[in-house]
Amino acid sequence: MDAHDHKIEDPPTLHDVDNPAKVFTVYLVVLGLALANIFLFKAGLGPITLPVQMGIATVQAALVAWYWMHLRRKDTIITLTAVTSLFFVFIFYVLVLSDVLTRTGGGL
Amino acid sequence: MSASTHSSVLKHHFDNLEQQHSAEKLGMWMFLVTEVLFFSGLFVAYTVYRHFYPAEFAFASSHLVLWIAGVNTALLITSSLTMTLAIRAAQLGKRSDLMRWLVVSFALGAGFMGFKAFEYYTDIHEQFVPGSMFQTEYARAVEHVAHHSAAAGDHGGIQHWAIELAENNKGKDPNSEGYIFPERVQLFLCFYYIMTGIHGIHIIAGLGCIVWLMLLTKCDKIPPQRYATVEIVSLYWHLVDMIWLFLMPLLYLVGTGVKGH
Repeated sequence: MDAHDHKIEDPPTLHDVDNPAKVFTVYLVVLGLALANIFLFKAGLGPITLPVQMGIATVQAALVAWYWMHLRRKDTIITLTAVTSLFFVFIFYVLVLSDVLTRTGGGL
Repeated sequence: MSASTHSSVLKHHFDNLEQQHSAEKLGMWMFLVTEVLFFSGLFVAYTVYRHFYPAEFAFASSHLVLWIAGVNTALLITSSLTMTLAIRAAQLGKRSDLMRWLVVSFALGAGFMGFKAFEYYTDIHEQFVPGSMFQTEYARAVEHVAHHSAAAGDHGGIQHWAIELAENNKGKDPNSEGYIFPERVQLFLCFYYIMTGIHGIHIIAGLGCIVWLMLLTKCDKIPPQRYATVEIVSLYWHLVDMIWLFLMPLLYLVGTGVKGH
């Protein structure tokens, strides 16, 4: 539908309204992952602790962004904006860590 | 919808509400990008220092109050849920539901700050603050440990973290295996206070925005056509929630009782 077909008194279309069951499901999953993060830490994962923790946090953040921040609505310009921020974060990490972690002697 | 409501909802420079909503959301997303980059600087700095000083970061982290972090995580995730339900109520024109979800979201956010304040109070009470507090307490502990056995139950009111650190370093050369540098422990605490402090300021700003939404709702100024106002505040709130989901494991789940390099 063309944007100009909308009249200014149009209420939100039904497909924009969240399904409560889906909203609560996401809540339970995100909360469950937070608990899993704590319990896995208590269990002791050794050297893979940090990657596992960041992996869980990334899944949580992705669920929040996709469902609660409505990236799933596929608004191209907003999706592009969100992805751009991740791309800049990636460059930020890669440039800094590739320098710091490869210094001779391995210290600051 | 009356003509007067039209003019109050649709700004003159937009063709229609859909275009206006897209512009509002895009504006907030652009702001969120700057926020992500801002916090990224802190996360990168934290990552570098944690890589080089893992034992000190693990030691300091193990003396933070994990149960408060757990409760606060649950509070923030739940507040994100209620903000999402507030958007739904706004879209469906259910004013009383909208007000209820906003009040619950505010209460949960305020609860987060309450627990955070209690945690800061506990940390300060235990002298677990970088600078003179930390240095004075550690110096007392070193003095105490030098003249008393580790088994002695009475530590003269010296904080447990300082005794543990002094006992760990007793008789060790700073370049030897297992020595935990006090200055690096303080560096972790600097990250802890700066990162949680800035995050807390964001929470307070979010609470202010929620109060603003409550006032608009009370004055009946959020008709279904204007639900995007609730949505842009919720976008900010969700981002603050997401940042905490990374902060919590990075600061509180580094390592329990890890000693030495």
